[in-house]
Amino acid sequence: MSQQTPSGARDRAAVGVFTPKAAILFVAVGTGLFMYFRHEKQKLLEQKQKELESRQYGRAHVGGPFSLMTHKGEPFTDKDLLGKWTLLYFGFTNCPDICPAELDKMTTIVDKIESTYGPIVQPVFLSVDPARDSPCQIAKYLTDFHPRFVGLTGSYEDVKATCKAYRVYFSTPPGTKPGDDYLVDHSIFVYLMDPEGQFVEAFGQVTTVEEVLGRFEKELREWAKEKGRKV
Amino acid sequence: MGWFGWSSSSKSTNEDPPLRQDRQKCWETRDAYFACLDRVGVVKAGDEGKQCAVENAAYNENCARSWIDYFNKRRVIAEQQKGLLAAANTQAQDAKRTS
Repeated sequence: MSQQTPSGARDRAAVGVFTPKAAILFVAVGTGLFMYFRHEKQKLLEQKQKELESRQYGRAHVGGPFSLMTHKGEPFTDKDLLGKWTLLYFGFTNCPDICPAELDKMTTIVDKIESTYGPIVQPVFLSVDPARDSPCQIAKYLTDFHPRFVGLTGSYEDVKATCKAYRVYFSTPPGTKPGDDYLVDHSIFVYLMDPEGQFVEAFGQVTTVEEVLGRFEKELREWAKEKGRKV
Repeated sequence: MGWFGWSSSSKSTNEDPPLRQDRQKCWETRDAYFACLDRVGVVKAGDEGKQCAVENAAYNENCARSWIDYFNKRRVIAEQQKGLLAAANTQAQDAKRTS
């Protein structure tokens, strides 16, 4: 026995403080920590999921399927809005001052976003005056604004249905024909839609370029964090 | 007659939309006409009689009828709002003084 003592002491020295008791404690603490972190991670995930859901639930049901025609005479549906952010304005080419001011604002916003992130936003002008706004007329009108603008028009029924889906009110005086001189009363909003075609925000006339940019960048950050891409 | 032509009934198809320079020209002649109305102390367009005839002619030549009606109506509404605001302010100040 007395001969084994030094070797036993050597063993103890070799394993240091790692006694059976310490080993049990180590495993216990380790397991405890593991469970704790797993629990915390789970909680975090749940919270994230909740946030995500509330963001989804918090969104208004604006938009939906539509089938119209571009200013180049090509068919255009809601599917063509996917894969890019969209800034969408409803107006008419014979609009005295509000529409051109809003379209100028959109042009500035799209330019600013483009210079930082590239062409990830599609500006769209949707006519609420299909009787007068032919694709050709809209094409001429849009030369004053951002070169990537897509102008949309269609039959009165198609435009009306699209406006209804987007909660846009418009009223054309009754019995009008192309060439008549009249104004169209309509809601003034610039809509921001995400790359999956979901409604994000409606900006009123008083919203400044900076406010729209701020809102867009916040949304873009959240989108990029969630999806791992910008569009 | 340029872009303004679409308001005449003879040209009823394939009309050009108003472009930036057309709008600019219309707004300028409108502002000149309204400035004249301000000078003669008239709010409602048409109440000025023979005054501002030159400005009014330029305005009529460069803006569509629907735009002119819209701008004129808006001028009256804006003046009414100004009056209401002024009245509200006086009232508020009176209330402050008496309290």
